[in-house]
Amino acid sequence: MNRTPKKSYLLLAGLALSLSLIATAAFSADGKTLYEDKGCTGCHGEDAKTPLEKGYPRLAGQNGGYLLQQLMDIKSGARKNGKIPDTMKPVIDELSEPELKLLADYLASLKWVSQGTPPEVAPPGKKLYLTKSCVACHGKEGMKPIMKTYPFLAGQDRTYLLAQMKDIGSKARENGLSNSMQPVMHLVNKKEMDAIAKYLSLVK
Amino acid sequence: MKKLSGLLAVSLSTSLALALPSLAAGPGDNIKQGKSLGEAGYEWNKGDGEEAEALKAKPDLKNGRDVYEVCSACHMPEGWGLTDGTFPQLAGQHFKVIIKQMSDIRAKNRDNPTMYPFALPSQIGGPQAIADVAAYIQSLKMNPKPGLGDGKDLALGEKLYKENCVRCHGEHGEGDNEKFFPRLEGQHYNYLLRQYQWIKEGKRRNANPDMVKQIQTFTDRDTKAVLDYVSRIKPPKDKLAPVGWKNPDFK
Repeated sequence: MNRTPKKSYLLLAGLALSLSLIATAAFSADGKTLYEDKGCTGCHGEDAKTPLEKGYPRLAGQNGGYLLQQLMDIKSGARKNGKIPDTMKPVIDELSEPELKLLADYLASLKWVSQGTPPEVAPPGKKLYLTKSCVACHGKEGMKPIMKTYPFLAGQDRTYLLAQMKDIGSKARENGLSNSMQPVMHLVNKKEMDAIAKYLSLVK
Repeated sequence: MKKLSGLLAVSLSTSLALALPSLAAGPGDNIKQGKSLGEAGYEWNKGDGEEAEALKAKPDLKNGRDVYEVCSACHMPEGWGLTDGTFPQLAGQHFKVIIKQMSDIRAKNRDNPTMYPFALPSQIGGPQAIADVAAYIQSLKMNPKPGLGDGKDLALGEKLYKENCVRCHGEHGEGDNEKFFPRLEGQHYNYLLRQYQWIKEGKRRNANPDMVKQIQTFTDRDTKAVLDYVSRIKPPKDKLAPVGWKNPDFK
């Protein structure tokens, strides 16, 4: 066996060393600890599915790719709708990208608040959900988003859902992939948006 | 040595996974992006990559129907889109036009964030699937009642159309399959208007530079008049479905 390491191995070893230093820093805390220590629990609830008040989203079991994109966009200021700049951005600002990834992975690993069981009495929102193209991206009962970067909607807070629909329609929210949703928002008026939000929030 | 490379692999994959947000879609979705309008070396319909492969494929209508199920959520089971122009009518569009546009959207040479995820190989399959669905779409009969403009300036519209558009899009807006020029007759007015504006402004990155240049002098009145005229051209009878037709393939 040739005991002299080849040049490429040296290079790789150096790369690995520097990368593993990053990794070590990231693993100094786990996602659950971050979620608790950084005060996320205060607004989103200890179980991440019991928000402090209406209008705050449930996070437990949300799509990991979507969560990470939102966290990074809130940190960068790309997502600035609603109360985000005053409430959440200051908290996120002090977290590194690897820490945000840990948070997203932790939240994604929890059981989503809904199993996708439709409400016994389907409100009119269900028909709108199916006919106004929502189902194409977010899937049956809001449980099967077509991309990892699209959110689950089933069982989400009704006030939050309505606010996001309005904000994406008005371009108050235009981060991430919301530009794929904006062009269809004129298909529904405010009353219809609320009906859709009500239906989705009721999916068990 | 074995141990070292094992460690290397672990630490590399961990750190890379941390560093790179997993925003990519499924495997095989990394299609090479070509040049687009405004970039040096842009050539309209260069026709390489997936487009060339799909054009060579022998289309399978039955699979085309299955692939189309994904599309039908927005473009409707009949392929008629929405009369308000949110989604275009696809029914009756030329085989090669569909192949070109789908390939361009997949390769991000035409921006369509709403449609993009549905066009990916992980959703519908490779170039063969593009050919299959294009053949299915071409076979669908068209909406006899598309969305129209206000109808107030049709004489001007007709004059402008005959002077400017006929050379490529044909006397009746029938387009040209061989040359990849789209069928325009009976397309929803609002959709035509949006695409036309995007072509004029350079926002539609796979546009034909000759058309971009040609329409620069059109005023807003000209634009509305000519597109209103186009949306009202009746496609040939054998291309049209009866009013209110429902596609039996998606019952």
